[in-house]
Amino acid sequence: MGSLISPFSRMIKMRKNLILYFTLGFPDQGTLESFSRRISQDEVDYVEFGFPSGNPVYDGPKIRGTHKTAMSNYRPEDGEKLFRDLLGKGIKLYSLTYYRDIRDDGGKFLSYLKREGFSGIIVPDLLVDYSDSAFSAIGRIHEAGLDFIPFFNPSTPDRIIKEISSKTGSWIYYGLQPSTGINVPFDTGEVAERINELVPGREINFGFGIRNNDQVRELVSYGASGVAIGTALIEMLSSGDEEAFYSYLKEMRGVLDGK
Amino acid sequence: MITSQAEDVIPDSWYNIVPDLPEQLAPPRDNTEDFSSIELLNRIIPKEVLRQEFTFKKFQKIPEEVAEAYRQIGRPTPLVRARNLEKFLGYKGKIFFKYEGATVTGSHKINTAIPQAYYAAQEGVNGIVTETGAGQWGTATALASSLYGMPSKVFMVGISYRQKPLRKKIMGIYGAQVFASPSSETKFGREMLGKDPDHPGSLGIAISEAVEYALENDYRYLLGSVMNSVLTHQSIIGLETKKQLEVLGEYPDALIGCVGGGSNFGGFTYPFIPDSREIDMIASTASEVPKFGKGEFKYDLLDTAGILPSMKMYSLGADFVPPPIYAGGLRYHAAAPSLSLLMQKGKIKHDEADEPAVKDALRVFSKTQGIVAAPESGHAIASAIKYAKESSNSGKTIVLNVSGHGLLDLSIFKDD
Repeated sequence: MGSLISPFSRMIKMRKNLILYFTLGFPDQGTLESFSRRISQDEVDYVEFGFPSGNPVYDGPKIRGTHKTAMSNYRPEDGEKLFRDLLGKGIKLYSLTYYRDIRDDGGKFLSYLKREGFSGIIVPDLLVDYSDSAFSAIGRIHEAGLDFIPFFNPSTPDRIIKEISSKTGSWIYYGLQPSTGINVPFDTGEVAERINELVPGREINFGFGIRNNDQVRELVSYGASGVAIGTALIEMLSSGDEEAFYSYLKEMRGVLDGK
Repeated sequence: MITSQAEDVIPDSWYNIVPDLPEQLAPPRDNTEDFSSIELLNRIIPKEVLRQEFTFKKFQKIPEEVAEAYRQIGRPTPLVRARNLEKFLGYKGKIFFKYEGATVTGSHKINTAIPQAYYAAQEGVNGIVTETGAGQWGTATALASSLYGMPSKVFMVGISYRQKPLRKKIMGIYGAQVFASPSSETKFGREMLGKDPDHPGSLGIAISEAVEYALENDYRYLLGSVMNSVLTHQSIIGLETKKQLEVLGEYPDALIGCVGGGSNFGGFTYPFIPDSREIDMIASTASEVPKFGKGEFKYDLLDTAGILPSMKMYSLGADFVPPPIYAGGLRYHAAAPSLSLLMQKGKIKHDEADEPAVKDALRVFSKTQGIVAAPESGHAIASAIKYAKESSNSGKTIVLNVSGHGLLDLSIFKDD
């Protein structure tokens, strides 16, 4: 069932979320499978999958690079194996997909996500490049039985944050930077306080530019529900260093748990 | 009548339109797959300016040192009831003008040069570099750099460099080293000169050269227009105007200003937007550079070389080489993303004036109000006169922004 606003969905979970991002097909299926085996509910709450895109405009150079590789590597049956494995461990799945890649497919992609057990979809270009279509797109996502995860950043006007948040009861993805994995200066506390004030009581997970453990601690101290990590995993994926990946998950879980 | 000179007209904070926009501002985009020009901004722009560029905060506190510098350079600028112009036009309403030409550098540009140079000085950089079209921005940067003890380099659009030797002289007196762009100082400039030794230059090329120079020499590049942070600093114009009108018990029916990159216009009009009252906001551009009339609302390069990120804005294309009109400040190929979005959403209207109409308007304004305004500001005056002459606008209160004086641009009248 797609998201209807319920009092329960508005409750903030006590455990802080660790969300991982992978581009399907990067660096290759074997590496993704071996990394996936290291993921468990002990550390990880959600996994976001980026489906290969020919033009991932709001991703930074590192994630853009993963899409380039993934465009030639990715086979749907490989992805489906990963999905089953993670769902079997109780990990929720989300898709990070550009609206430009799915707007004209007659809803096929949304149906596919639902069939594969995805909980929802993040669409980073929807409110920016397709704002006139936003409400109808959200409606279609809900009709497909998926959660629409609003994607906001510091440039999202207050009115839009309130309006879009009221259309969905799901968690909110707040991007700290204009695109993934880059670093322009901002005050973490101010950013976190602002979004919490605009949509009090909502589950808000932060991503798009998480830099280090101290920043994660600061976000948590300002009431963040969790963090999404993507760019930081790319080197480990590229070198196939699953031990480093596993240590990273343990370490990040510790940071999120305040240890 | 100069209605207010009181120090308390200077606001405590600048206003940032971004959180109040009707839609989300499209973020900057990198131009190449494997390199982040957004990240590169960290090495080009003072850090605090970059923070302000991406902030969601509606109000940015003006540091006391900057507020004092504002007082030193002539802020608040006067708001004047243009009674002689009203009489000349037989206008039944009221016309006011905010006169940014009253600052020591003669235009609004100093409003953002001061805080940017202040933030750069706090970082301890080697120096300041920028581009300039008509020369007003270069003049403001040269002075602001000197105020904070930093050397400055200015890449001046070649055609303006040749048309306006006095501008170059003033920048030199303030302490800047000025180069005609394209120049042999940078790789990009040499490339352009290789293609055309008599290249007239463009702002896009001059920006490219300045940015390249900043990267090569650990200088900081100051932004003259277009960017959110610049429009935020320029909001001092509108905030002062609002306060001055309030003192007079007035509220505008129309706000009119000229648009090059959009900083004086945005700074002048944006503080009125949160009021949600019916105001005709009219952006006057050069007919020769019809960025709103013929430009496209799309992602485009800020600079011709593509070193800076792309922005979604009304643009005639970064390779647009404008005709050599006198209003050099209006020759830029695009307009600020926030202004472009408001234009696209119909919140702001546009008008165009060509050079002959601008010259006429400048003459009228000189004869009636005694001010020889800058050719750029002449567009705002021409649009304001046109607006006042429309019968449906009879009796309205028009406020226009005269962004600078034209005492160094008198060559526009050389054939008269």
